Amino acid sequence: MTLPKHVYQAFEDVVGAVNISDDPAVLDSYRYSLAHTAIHLGPFYNTYTPRGAAVLLPGSAKEVQAIVKLCNKYRIKFKASSTFWSAQGYPSEEDTIQLDMRRMDRILELDEKNMFAVVEPGVIGATLQAEAMKVGLNTHIPGSGCSCSVLASATSYFGSGPSNLYGGCYYDNLLGLEWVMPTGEILRTGSVNSTGSWFCGEGPGPSMKGVARGFLGAKGSMGVFTKCAIKLFAWPGPKTLPVEGVIPAYKVSLPETFRAYTLAFPSWKAWADAAHLIWDTGIGYLAHRQFNMFGRDLKFAMVKILTDPTKTLGDLEEVLADPEVQRITKQSERDFQIILVGMTARDIAWQDAALDEILNRTDGWKVEAMNVPEIHDWVLLYLIRLGHKNLNLVFSGGYDGAFGLLGAMDYGAAHAEEAAQFKKTWEKRGAIVDAGGDCMMGPIGGQGGGGTGLWENFTCFDPHDRESVEGTLEFFDACTKLGLEKGWGVGMEKWNSVARGSDGRTTPKAERDRMHLSAPQPSVFRYQHKIREAFNPNDLGDAYYETLEDE
Amino acid sequence: MALKDFAAEMDRCSVCSYCKWIPFDQMKSWRFAKNCPSVAYYNFNSYSARGRYAVARSLLNEQSEYSDTVRNIVHTCMTCGACDVSCKVCRYNLEPLEMVRELKFSLVEAEQVLDQHEALIASLNQEHNILHKPKSERGAWADGLDVARLPSEKAEILFHAGCRLSYDEDLQKTAVSAVQLLKSMGVDVGILGEKEMCCGGRVYSMGYRDEFNHFADLNMKVWANAGVKTVVTACADCYHAFKRLYPPLGSQVEVLHMVEFIERLIQQGKLRFRSEVPMTVTYHDPCHLGRQGEPYVPWNGVEKKIKGQIIVYEPNKPRYNGAWGVYDPPRNILRSIPGVKLVEMERIREYSWCCGAGGGVREAYPEFSAWTAAERIAEAKATGAEALVSACPWCERNFMDSISATGAGLQVYDVLALVEKAL
Ligand code: SF4
Ligand code: SF4
Repeated sequence: MTLPKHVYQAFEDVVGAVNISDDPAVLDSYRYSLAHTAIHLGPFYNTYTPRGAAVLLPGSAKEVQAIVKLCNKYRIKFKASSTFWSAQGYPSEEDTIQLDMRRMDRILELDEKNMFAVVEPGVIGATLQAEAMKVGLNTHIPGSGCSCSVLASATSYFGSGPSNLYGGCYYDNLLGLEWVMPTGEILRTGSVNSTGSWFCGEGPGPSMKGVARGFLGAKGSMGVFTKCAIKLFAWPGPKTLPVEGVIPAYKVSLPETFRAYTLAFPSWKAWADAAHLIWDTGIGYLAHRQFNMFGRDLKFAMVKILTDPTKTLGDLEEVLADPEVQRITKQSERDFQIILVGMTARDIAWQDAALDEILNRTDGWKVEAMNVPEIHDWVLLYLIRLGHKNLNLVFSGGYDGAFGLLGAMDYGAAHAEEAAQFKKTWEKRGAIVDAGGDCMMGPIGGQGGGGTGLWENFTCFDPHDRESVEGTLEFFDACTKLGLEKGWGVGMEKWNSVARGSDGRTTPKAERDRMHLSAPQPSVFRYQHKIREAFNPNDLGDAYYETLEDE
Repeated sequence: MALKDFAAEMDRCSVCSYCKWIPFDQMKSWRFAKNCPSVAYYNFNSYSARGRYAVARSLLNEQSEYSDTVRNIVHTCMTCGACDVSCKVCRYNLEPLEMVRELKFSLVEAEQVLDQHEALIASLNQEHNILHKPKSERGAWADGLDVARLPSEKAEILFHAGCRLSYDEDLQKTAVSAVQLLKSMGVDVGILGEKEMCCGGRVYSMGYRDEFNHFADLNMKVWANAGVKTVVTACADCYHAFKRLYPPLGSQVEVLHMVEFIERLIQQGKLRFRSEVPMTVTYHDPCHLGRQGEPYVPWNGVEKKIKGQIIVYEPNKPRYNGAWGVYDPPRNILRSIPGVKLVEMERIREYSWCCGAGGGVREAYPEFSAWTAAERIAEAKATGAEALVSACPWCERNFMDSISATGAGLQVYDVLALVEKAL
């Protein structure tokens, strides 16, 4: 749809002519191809999220408020997104106005004493981390990486990641909020509303955090968050990361109190036990099963390539043929990475000793080949900054997660291997990358402090190749079928099918209701329905704010 | 290549937006974290590499048509290559810089051009330079210099001044210094003077591939007639054209930038600095000398898949990601000058911020170009340096213009100017 002239003009009057466009080519740069990763539904060849009616670049909460009021006046749906990592940040219904929040990108406050920052939507994990480090603090970075908006991850998505272990996940870390509600009123939640300071997520009165976020984040469907405060945590390292090395093998040498270990275990049970012991002892700064995303068979070869600037993906087969690489690959089948950071020399000595004892009790070991300086320092930088998430797509530009989700670490013992072997048989058919079946990755500690795991089995394919895309979808359907048969439940591959269909559009209401009713806790969606009725009376968002209306 | 040859890449670009930022590992602050001038200035996705992939696909699939907006999207790309470096931190099978260039070629072929660029092309065709100056005056900068004029005279090494150093009166001194230095070191150097022609590199970056090919051909013929085996230049654009763009067209001459030549002289002990130059300086890496200054590696291969769906090339494809650009020679020269203190900006080497003069932007979008330069000047000033030093007259011109417009209070030098002071 093209907006009627007077409506376009009304929006233009708010943001100025240079910050609005309805040129088809511009609009097409705000569409998401469901061929390369649908996070997590497709892939669907040659399918895109719908073209918006216009893209607007607001510069202030006031402008956002005026836009939202106009959307209410003209009954136009709107969708705000900041860094556009996820497919869910794009409109899933026709004739939606896309708000690109990138102009609102200031760090408004960095309160060293009370350990929080106040940010606008366009602030990303990397820039907040760089600024926080200057005052001895650090920020959690979600699994989607440091290119993603801090505010979006905290307010609108799950926001889990490797540093959950020590730094808490974004849901926990979200403090005060400024929310342009779907009707256009502005609500400030937490202490900022009563004291003017952002230090606390809850103010006097009922909690608004759950109302504003909804289950797993409202994904731009319930108004626009224009500011938020984020809790920070201690960073006992240098003010600026002293990065060295030739691109892409950047690495960082940090003080004696930093460690980057790859741990491996003889069985999945030992692997899960180690995670429990790590949580119990309270050691670790961040922990992640990271490089296994390349696949059990390819991970060490990929580490060798990525840490050597003279090598490329084209050297993979040659590297894999190296007997030493094969030995390390075998040695690190069931592994994860952990970064230990000592606040003092005594602290790191204690953590090291505790980790050794954990390995002793679980018969685990440190993969020494990952501890040579050029790899150790690369891992350290990789995991602290989390700035290589595009490696998810390194093989051919398409990936999506299968199986997995959030749950007890014992899933490893329960079904990781079976799922891996199942995937391996599909890899041999050729549609997806043949990586060894087990490509499961995720944080060791799916939420603040640990306690659960979060995982997905990376499935890599070529989004330009119809057979690869369709073969991947077939595989995903098979994963869901297997998951249901085995009682593991529906995995990540179908996470969002409730909200969006194979045409990239919102699924019909009846279909959504049916799926929500079969969820373990349908009342969550009934409750969200009531919230939407109260806060979004004109229903100007999309189905990513999930509701159930069955009574 | 044609735009349709990039169709696979258009699908394989993961819209991750890494191309909007310097490599994340290198980020030191909020202020200097961005890398792509055009998306930093215009903000819509379409002004980034990821957006240009999407716009290209939209045009290719006839989902959108040429418009003023599309022309602006394409021609505001500086072809600085910063996106390319950031993308390739993770990706081995995408070539964003080649794609944005190809998008420009396709628009020019479709006559989706800008008046300012057309005027410049007219100057190129008539006067063999892109500055609207008479070709008869091209060698005037060297009047009075005792230097051989090729091809009537002979010399071992050709010094190619380039359009900017030939005609820009504020900058001609760099060419003069270069020749004087080479001569004082006993180098058998000559120039083409009024017979010199534009390298074509800048029109290539504006999308005029045919004109580039034509001028490359002319230059290579002149060199062949004059028996040139080595070309030295003090212009990063010319360097890039000769070093990277000419070899696929058959050029086999050795190409050196003055900073490489001088560094070599220092290393050989032939050049020693005697005078103190008490100055705190910072160095700006020109895109075409730094990340785009990597040597050309011939390749003629095809895509293939291994492990089912991993995209690689047969034979292995050379990787241009800025790893091996010319970064250290200028720094080594500056460090060897007594009294000079080199302080670094946040965005350096392969992830340097562009000066704003590239891709025809200076000519067609002067405000945007000046803003880009001002961003760099702010970064330079944040180091505490009193001078911004570079090795490209186009960068220097853009910085000088920005400083005189804003009164930013920073001096601009070419590396050669400091070398001259230190002799
Ligand atoms: S061009 Fe590269 S960096 Fe940019 S979005 Fe595409 S894959 Fe990511
Ligand atoms: S070449 Fe430069 S201006 Fe063009 S898209 Fe890449 S970073 Fe942006």
